[in-house]
Amino acid sequence: MSVLKTSLRNFLAHKGRMALSAVAVLLSVAFVSGTLVFMDTMNATFEKLFATTASSVTVSPEGATDDETPQTGRPETLPAALLDEVAKAEGARNVQGAVTSLSVTVVDAKNKNVGPTGGAPTIAVNWTPNELRSVEITSGHEPRGPTDVVVDAATAEKHGLKLGDELRTISVTGDFTAKISGIAEFKVTNPGATLVYFETATAQRELLGKEGLFTQITADAAPGVSDDALKANIAAALGDGHKLQTAAEAADAGREELAGFLDVMKYAMLGFAGIALLVGIFLIVNTFSMLVAQRTREIGLMRAIGSSRRQVNRSVLVEALLLGLVGSAAGVAAGVGLAVGLMKLMSAVGMELSTGDLTVKWTTPVVGVVLGVVVTVLAAYVPARRAGKISPMAALRDAGTPADGRAGRVRGGIGLALTAAGAAALVAAARAEEAAPGSAWLGLGVVLSLLGFVVVGPLLAGVVVRALGVVVLRVFGPVGRMAERNALRNPRRTGATGAALMIGLALVACLSVVGSSMVASATEELDRSVGADFIVRSGTGQPIVPQAQAALEKAPGIDHVTEYRWLDATVTDPRGRKTEEGLAATDATYMRDLRRETTAGRLADAYGPDAMSVGSDYATEHGVKVGDVLTVAFKGGKPAKLRVAAITADQGNVDNGAMYTDITTAARYLPADRVPHSLLLLAGAKDGQETQAYQALKDALAPYPQYKVSNQADYKKDLQDQVGQLLNIVYGLLALAIVVAVLGVVNTLALSVVERTREIGLMRAIGLSRRQLRRMIRLESVVIALFGALLGLGLGMGWGTAAQKLLALEGLGVLDVPWPTILTVFVASAFVGLFAALVPAFRAGRMNVLNAIASE
Amino acid sequence: MTSAVTTPRPGGTGGATAVAARARQVVKAYGSGETRVVALDSVDVDIARGRFTAIMGPSGSGKSTLMHCLAGLDTVTSGQIFLDETEITGLKDKKLTQLRRDRIGFIFQAFNLLPTLSAIENITLPMDIAGRKPDADWLRRVVDTVGLSERLKHRPNELSGGQQQRVAVARALAARPEIIFGDEPTGNLDSRAGAEVLGFLRTSVDELGQTIVMVTHDPVAASYADRVLYLADGRIVDEMERPTAEAVLDRMKDFDARGRTS
Repeated sequence: MSVLKTSLRNFLAHKGRMALSAVAVLLSVAFVSGTLVFMDTMNATFEKLFATTASSVTVSPEGATDDETPQTGRPETLPAALLDEVAKAEGARNVQGAVTSLSVTVVDAKNKNVGPTGGAPTIAVNWTPNELRSVEITSGHEPRGPTDVVVDAATAEKHGLKLGDELRTISVTGDFTAKISGIAEFKVTNPGATLVYFETATAQRELLGKEGLFTQITADAAPGVSDDALKANIAAALGDGHKLQTAAEAADAGREELAGFLDVMKYAMLGFAGIALLVGIFLIVNTFSMLVAQRTREIGLMRAIGSSRRQVNRSVLVEALLLGLVGSAAGVAAGVGLAVGLMKLMSAVGMELSTGDLTVKWTTPVVGVVLGVVVTVLAAYVPARRAGKISPMAALRDAGTPADGRAGRVRGGIGLALTAAGAAALVAAARAEEAAPGSAWLGLGVVLSLLGFVVVGPLLAGVVVRALGVVVLRVFGPVGRMAERNALRNPRRTGATGAALMIGLALVACLSVVGSSMVASATEELDRSVGADFIVRSGTGQPIVPQAQAALEKAPGIDHVTEYRWLDATVTDPRGRKTEEGLAATDATYMRDLRRETTAGRLADAYGPDAMSVGSDYATEHGVKVGDVLTVAFKGGKPAKLRVAAITADQGNVDNGAMYTDITTAARYLPADRVPHSLLLLAGAKDGQETQAYQALKDALAPYPQYKVSNQADYKKDLQDQVGQLLNIVYGLLALAIVVAVLGVVNTLALSVVERTREIGLMRAIGLSRRQLRRMIRLESVVIALFGALLGLGLGMGWGTAAQKLLALEGLGVLDVPWPTILTVFVASAFVGLFAALVPAFRAGRMNVLNAIASE
Repeated sequence: MTSAVTTPRPGGTGGATAVAARARQVVKAYGSGETRVVALDSVDVDIARGRFTAIMGPSGSGKSTLMHCLAGLDTVTSGQIFLDETEITGLKDKKLTQLRRDRIGFIFQAFNLLPTLSAIENITLPMDIAGRKPDADWLRRVVDTVGLSERLKHRPNELSGGQQQRVAVARALAARPEIIFGDEPTGNLDSRAGAEVLGFLRTSVDELGQTIVMVTHDPVAASYADRVLYLADGRIVDEMERPTAEAVLDRMKDFDARGRTS
């Protein structure tokens, strides 16, 4: 009992310091529990969505995929006649034919895309009474004629659409314009899509090309008939060749689809929680080490009057337990807040999530608290042991300042050995010939070198701080010198404080090196291989509709436009081995737009009739030579026998391993409506007309905002922006680790100030001004921060370089160290140090000189 | 009540007044109402320039408070304190800090030195802080006087207690302050080391013309001074010129006895 009482007293006596450590625990637990709450809420939301809206049984064409946009731009269909057959099945009620197309783009009168920007699709459907399960028409009426369209309320609001406004729907069957006849409000969660509703015949005509077709047929079960029974009945009525799903199966499929996206988010967030936790551990270890050091005399006294080592040890661990409990309890609460924040963020990018569906399972707080407590207690274990080792003699000694914690030689040796092993592993990774073992080496190298740096940190602190002292601190005269000496006083503490910052910055440096190398490598490859002046892509993965392509081809100043269509096919090699491959069916001008090396044959011959090319990897693996004939069974078409006329060298990233054939060759084996549309178009300008042609292309694409045309320079910039955006998100999350590290710096400084109360008093007495005192503390903080930054950036650049060398196997051939970023981070660290010192310096300045002298 | 005010007269140190510091009707009180404690009760005192003054008195007599107030470390409740002709009561922290830095030297009972700085760095610290260059000749003389030439590169924890206090004395002297305040500077030393330090203080008064004020409760230490002021209950109750250890001890016994009988 007395142990608990002492611990509680101590805990409460150091509220401020404990609060800082608790924040570290809080942040990591908040991330973990926030992730859990968010995931549970998403699952609950979608379960509810499918449960309320899906029909008992849905019949789809075999081969229909759930939401992938087919490259043909046309959904798979069922004949209308099937409606009656489904209706005949026993227990089937409310049989409805549905038309759903995701291969559409809807634009307003100003040619602005009204579709979602966050990656969710635009969905065009026919209006049936079933729609009333998910929406209600809040103004206007349902679509009744060929010029009526109903749009969902969220989209209408976002784009300022009113009843009577015109919307143009673009699909492969052409453009058509309708007036908004009604606005439909969602009663359930709309996962971010834009929805437009048409009258059934219009939908069939405009989305599927002709009337009398549906993409799904839905049926509800009569009372007393289970969904499964109805599914069996309908299957019996229709025979084979159809895909049948019950509502539950549809829900599962929907969830699975979502799971991929959510998993990425989940692991990313848990990863950052892990980093925050790791940094938090440093903070906790440091806090307890300092508390123990500060209480050395007190603990010595306790030992002298008869406390056992175990009791002392336990009292520290109980304090850690209290800290863990408080921190993680607050963390769980903050986690729920974080989840709500994430949901709001999702809403902002278009995925409407209602906070009413917030789901907190009982496991969430349990996981959060257990994690927080276990980590805290583990982190406090080393300082607790050190406390137990304090001899009773400590009570008798003059407290003064704690003895300089000299970093031991053993520690240095271990640290250097770990660092060397890590470096060796990184070199092995850089030199790896294959990706799999290389990644293992890389992982090992990262972990070992990180550990090594952490262990050797106190030793490095001496070297680095002295070096920094020469460069930075000398400017500040005696105040700078004292700051340097103070930072060197307890290398272990400086090392641990800096190490916390090091981790976050190492990751920042590593990722920025990799990201920058990615851009540089891609740019270099573009320069080397791409001859096209322009590239036309869609932002949503929609194929390029013929009317848009026609508009492009008419643009003045254009020399040629190259189609690039992707065909799925089963390819049989001469020995009869079948593989699923994709063929790039292009115009022959593609050879000019993308320069490819061949290892055998001439690429031009591959564009001859019934000819093709293969990549060198395929050729080696399948023993294919120029002149061999492959059987290519195009999906939805007839099998073709194509002669291999060229073998392209598999190198670089662009079109690596692609098989090429001419579009006319492919077209001969496919029905017209089965020929995929172009994924992208490449274009060349007439000589000297590049600028005009670029503008002309942009103008031609104005009515089709889903596509974007870029010249080479803009394309590179886009690439850079994309990588930059990705990195910014990652940096944002890493900021969390840096926040925790800053708390660590604050903590260390605050404690140093308290420890040095007498010293500060003395210096003030003999004439150190408040400003000088504050500057001294700020400089010490800056030095610690720069020490962490230097280590972190160095380590991170090492990791990044090793990663780039490894990824060179995947085409990341150019190493590009983003010096401006690295330098910015370094300088920013100095400001981080200044910021961390604000409160401790202020408090030191406020200290009463007399109390400071008098204090023990 | 005895007043420690002496008649000002032209001093021996080049035209400056003979009084280095003076207190006029200084009151220092803590708390208010029922719990009001008066540490200094209308104290008037003059500290003569170029002399060694000791302040004695029993614990709680206010001797340390008086010194802290004279040195600008503590604020007074009422009254005035002058350092030379500068009134320091009412000065803002910034001015006071500058004053301490440039015009006053300190020697505390313990913890006089910064553990991270070497002996010589500690000695020059006040001048470093001020951004002034120490006068090399003077510094050498001070260092020689306190006998530390061999140990200048050592850190405080490599020096004995006596050596540490000598470094503190050297620091106080090095900046050539108008006045040095010592707060039981030998309180933590054995008699031999204490005698050494006091000897240096005496020497610096005699040879360097330094003004020193020292708080002590040790009659032997007080006997090194030119003049001893006795404080009791926040008032100056007596003073003695050219004290000897025996005389001081006798006087203290007197006070003790009086305190007990009254």
